[in-house]
Amino acid sequence: MTGGALLGEMAVIFGGAISGSWLLRRAWSLKTGKAPWRWAGLSLLAINLIWSAWALGYARGPFIALTLLAVAALGVIASGHTLRPAKAGRAAREGLAPEPAERAMSAWRTTLRWSLAGPVGMIAAMALGISYAVWAPGEMQTRLLIGGLIVPLAWGGAMAWTLADSRILRATAMLVGTAVFGFGAAMLKGFT
Amino acid sequence: MTKVKKSTGFPSSDLVRAVLKGHSGLGLAFAALLYLVCLTGTIAVFANEFQRWENPGAERMQMMSADAVQAAYLGAMERTEGPVEHVLILMPSEDRPWPTLRFDAEDGTQTTWIADGAGRITGKVREGWTKFLTRLHINLHLPQSWGIFIIGLTGVALLSSLISGLLAHPRIFRDAFHLRLGGSRRLQEADLHNRIGVWALPFHITVSLTGALLGLSTIIIGAIGLAVFQGDTAKVYAIFTPPHPAADARPAPPLDLRPLFATVAARAPGERINYLVIEHPTEMGAAAMFEVEDGSSRLANANSYAFDREGKLYYEQKAADNNVGQQILGSLGLLHFGWFGGGVIKIAYALLGLGLTYLAAGGVNIWLARRRDKGRPAPGWESVWTATVWGQPVALACAAFTALFTPLVAPLIWTWGIISIAVLGAAALLPPATLSRFGRAITGALLIVLALAHPAFLGMGDSMALIVDGALGLLGLGLLATVVGQVPMVRKASQPA
Repeated sequence: MTGGALLGEMAVIFGGAISGSWLLRRAWSLKTGKAPWRWAGLSLLAINLIWSAWALGYARGPFIALTLLAVAALGVIASGHTLRPAKAGRAAREGLAPEPAERAMSAWRTTLRWSLAGPVGMIAAMALGISYAVWAPGEMQTRLLIGGLIVPLAWGGAMAWTLADSRILRATAMLVGTAVFGFGAAMLKGFT
Repeated sequence: MTKVKKSTGFPSSDLVRAVLKGHSGLGLAFAALLYLVCLTGTIAVFANEFQRWENPGAERMQMMSADAVQAAYLGAMERTEGPVEHVLILMPSEDRPWPTLRFDAEDGTQTTWIADGAGRITGKVREGWTKFLTRLHINLHLPQSWGIFIIGLTGVALLSSLISGLLAHPRIFRDAFHLRLGGSRRLQEADLHNRIGVWALPFHITVSLTGALLGLSTIIIGAIGLAVFQGDTAKVYAIFTPPHPAADARPAPPLDLRPLFATVAARAPGERINYLVIEHPTEMGAAAMFEVEDGSSRLANANSYAFDREGKLYYEQKAADNNVGQQILGSLGLLHFGWFGGGVIKIAYALLGLGLTYLAAGGVNIWLARRRDKGRPAPGWESVWTATVWGQPVALACAAFTALFTPLVAPLIWTWGIISIAVLGAAALLPPATLSRFGRAITGALLIVLALAHPAFLGMGDSMALIVDGALGLLGLGLLATVVGQVPMVRKASQPA
């Protein structure tokens, strides 16, 4: 595809993303009768995504469309910003989202929590990724790459969970169990 | 007073508060690293453009003949002392329209040469700033394995923050388009944090997941090797890399590339060679691998051809035959750096990267504002954080300025390190507002001086270098404008009488 054609396709995708975002914003701002606008916006964005895959390649197209959608949506949001007077500060603060939980802190709990989020979570995530690579069907490279992608995802999930869960022993048991089971299962079969 | 109705749906308010606690703790623990990695990543999207900016005098070309490549390769070989382990020849491309030849010596030293269209070596490539920037993003200039692991860990922390951030955002749909600026600083920061976080989520997930996988790859491969290959990681690498011909260390003349170019042209007519790697070019066991773009719209669209010394094709992998794993592997770098859709996607990635950088900075601002609202301000941390946020643009601009005077990376690392520490030291003396103003003013002024000085020092032979200079100048002016508006005299003059 030539540079000019690519630019043209991207301009159409960007236009679709702006229009879709605007329709969703319109639905969001209405008190009643939201549904038609919402469906129109979602449909337009879905068409945009499908069309990008057809026009620019099944992997390249959707990534281009999603990137441009993010820029377009943030542009639509920025264009609809509201300015608040300085004295609105106190009232606004009262309407804020929930406050983080207060927890009783102790050195061992904090150490254990961060150990779970860090090294223990990493080992458990690796166990999951490697056992996927070993046990899942498919080509070697595919299993290894998907197993590799599972590692940061599972570790990130474990991090989010252990740093939030107040029942720290439950998290410990779960992660240690996952690590032992995952690595055990992988070693048992071996990579073929 | 309105009574707040306790939600019983998912996520419950207790879960939200617990997740918010973890989100906040993780964000604070990794804030500075996340900020640095996101900021350098945003700039590194333009690594190719910066390389052109550093070499504006290089002769530009669309393609290079096999004879010219052979001449350049032999010319660079003559200039290299001692045995050569590998040679990496990057062919001219749209992003970087001149060839480079990197020679890896046996002692690990690397020298990269630049050649003209006739294959004459015109000198060493100047890449101090580009290398400084990309290495800072990839391994923080720490020892390779440690640095890359820390970056991988940062990617996981970012991924985790995205997960917890979503769970801790019960008003995700209700506030989907709210952007309330002014009034409460905490509300403004929270609105910006949440809108950027949610609407650019596909981008955030893409860069954090690919970055984390690239960063953790060594340790993951080590673990796989340990678990299923009795510790032999070479077996894991072998699954993804072309096989090597049998080792034969007997000396031989440099491998002749011309017949190999002819074979590639015959097998892949009209296709563009991205690069070629030559292994042990002066040994009997020499081999060359060509990476050739097949012109399709696939993300991973490179065919590989590997030849031994006799010119026998011993390995061929067509992009069209890649399995899912090979396609993912070939796409990781492109998706991470935004190099899959030309200049438009690069600009979009830079904007979204800036948003991600703002998420890292804004998260701490929300925490600081929350403390202030609760009557527990932390002025010391406010200063330290402001110094971190505005110290990095100053330090990076100083490093870029230093690159005008030296092609080496080490002076840039020193400049960046000293300025970063100095600005952090200034946090003990100056309040946050002053630090922020100084940071913006100095960065802005430095960028303008850099834009003006660059053509004078390195020349203006490449239009891309001038575009980069223009962008730097505009960025500098923009930063200065934010400061000028805050000067009391200007503010007073601009108010109606």
